[in-house]
Amino acid sequence: MADTPIPLEVRDITKRFGDTEVLKGLSLTAHKGDVITLIGASGSGKSTFLRCMNLLEQPNEGELIVHGENIAFKTTRHGREPADWKQVERIRAKLSMVFQSFNLWAHMTLLENVIEAPIHVLGKPKREAVEHARQLLDRVGLLDHADYYPAQMSGGQQQRGAIARALAMDPEVMLFDEPTSALDPELVGDVLKVMRDLADEGRTMIVVTHEMSFARDVSSQVIYLHQGMIEEIGPPKEVLDNPQSDRLKQFLAPKH
Amino acid sequence: MIDLKGYGPRLLEGALVTVEVAVLSLLLALILGLLTASAKLSRHVLLHRLATLYTTLIRGVPDLVLMLLLFFGGQIGVNMITDWLYYQFDVDIFISINEFVAGVVTIGFIFGAYMGETFRGAFLAVDSGQLEAGRAYGMSSRLIFRRIQFPQMMRHALPGLGNNWMVLLKTTALVSVIGLSDMVRIAAEATKATHEPFLFMVPVALIYLLIASVSEWGVARLQKRYNVGFGEADEWNN
Repeated sequence: MADTPIPLEVRDITKRFGDTEVLKGLSLTAHKGDVITLIGASGSGKSTFLRCMNLLEQPNEGELIVHGENIAFKTTRHGREPADWKQVERIRAKLSMVFQSFNLWAHMTLLENVIEAPIHVLGKPKREAVEHARQLLDRVGLLDHADYYPAQMSGGQQQRGAIARALAMDPEVMLFDEPTSALDPELVGDVLKVMRDLADEGRTMIVVTHEMSFARDVSSQVIYLHQGMIEEIGPPKEVLDNPQSDRLKQFLAPKH
Repeated sequence: MIDLKGYGPRLLEGALVTVEVAVLSLLLALILGLLTASAKLSRHVLLHRLATLYTTLIRGVPDLVLMLLLFFGGQIGVNMITDWLYYQFDVDIFISINEFVAGVVTIGFIFGAYMGETFRGAFLAVDSGQLEAGRAYGMSSRLIFRRIQFPQMMRHALPGLGNNWMVLLKTTALVSVIGLSDMVRIAAEATKATHEPFLFMVPVALIYLLIASVSEWGVARLQKRYNVGFGEADEWNN
């Protein structure tokens, strides 16, 4: 394993929106097969941190190394930005993201959604992409929905479809941005089950979530963020079952 | 059959000119409209101001005035340039502005401003999460535009584009003023010669109506195409 590059390394990321510093020097290393969950109150910066990893947000400082490739930045009068957008596109294709609001492309059927980026970004032949997509849809239990449009499906189905779309890229790392937060409670289970399966098969995943039982059962590492800083980090047994800081204790305490 | 006193074939030729002017100006207007909308939505200050100046100017000045300005003013401008070339470099050329080109350019130029506003609103109506998903999957901005942004924008733009097209079609009647033999001008000539306005103007009105009806059918079909995925769920399920 020593000679396979680390899927994702993030070093000293800072991010400012105007005068507010929302990320204050965050680092993270995702080894192959790691499931890292980011928890924290809203406003703690966990989603912004995740979005810096595929450069949907531009970090003001810090390094990003994906599968051994260091992303180059340059400073312009608009601030710091990637030096080579082609490189960014190439790297984004290795880090599939699953969004809170699914963001399946509304004018395409589920199958078209899943084959879109493999064909147009990775340059896969259509037949191969379709075949792969059908396997993935079968896996998330949506093969019979291949020709449905997103608006015809429930939130849970859309999110499982979005996971199939992410898997179709054969990603190095999967980024999940609160994947169950927009779902009705009875639909959350199906999505979490798919995610548990992915963790079991050794996918490298970084998950922003409020689902503590998922974090406890599945993650190799839990990171608790508070005001843009890592307050606690470690395996779930330490962080979730034996929290050190009062803030984390309070955060984990039952709310009712 | 109605006796058009021998003007029938010329009227049809005129109708063809009308359609040609309309279609070509539509193409020009669509291109200018997309460019204007992009400029207005860009963060580039100069482009933004230029586009705003364009839409303000065009929408605030009557079409006929613009057409006369562009046709006669354009000729004077071209003459000044050719004169200057003659005196400076002894190059002797004469360019006359063709009525057809002037008509197409003016109408395209005018409607580009309206199309620009329609496109701008339509681009803003596309959910930003749809584009973000494209970026997150490694798509270039061009690919996102072609595969996601444009098709989703069209759904919002089509009602406005269809409306603009109808107005544009009727605006082509103005080209008769600068001497282009569209069907209105030919009907007007025929009326003068025969003193029978209804005999010629009623067919002209009917032809406009026919083109408009065909267009409405076409727009409805496009509408249907770009609405795929967005309509009512039970519309597909039955």
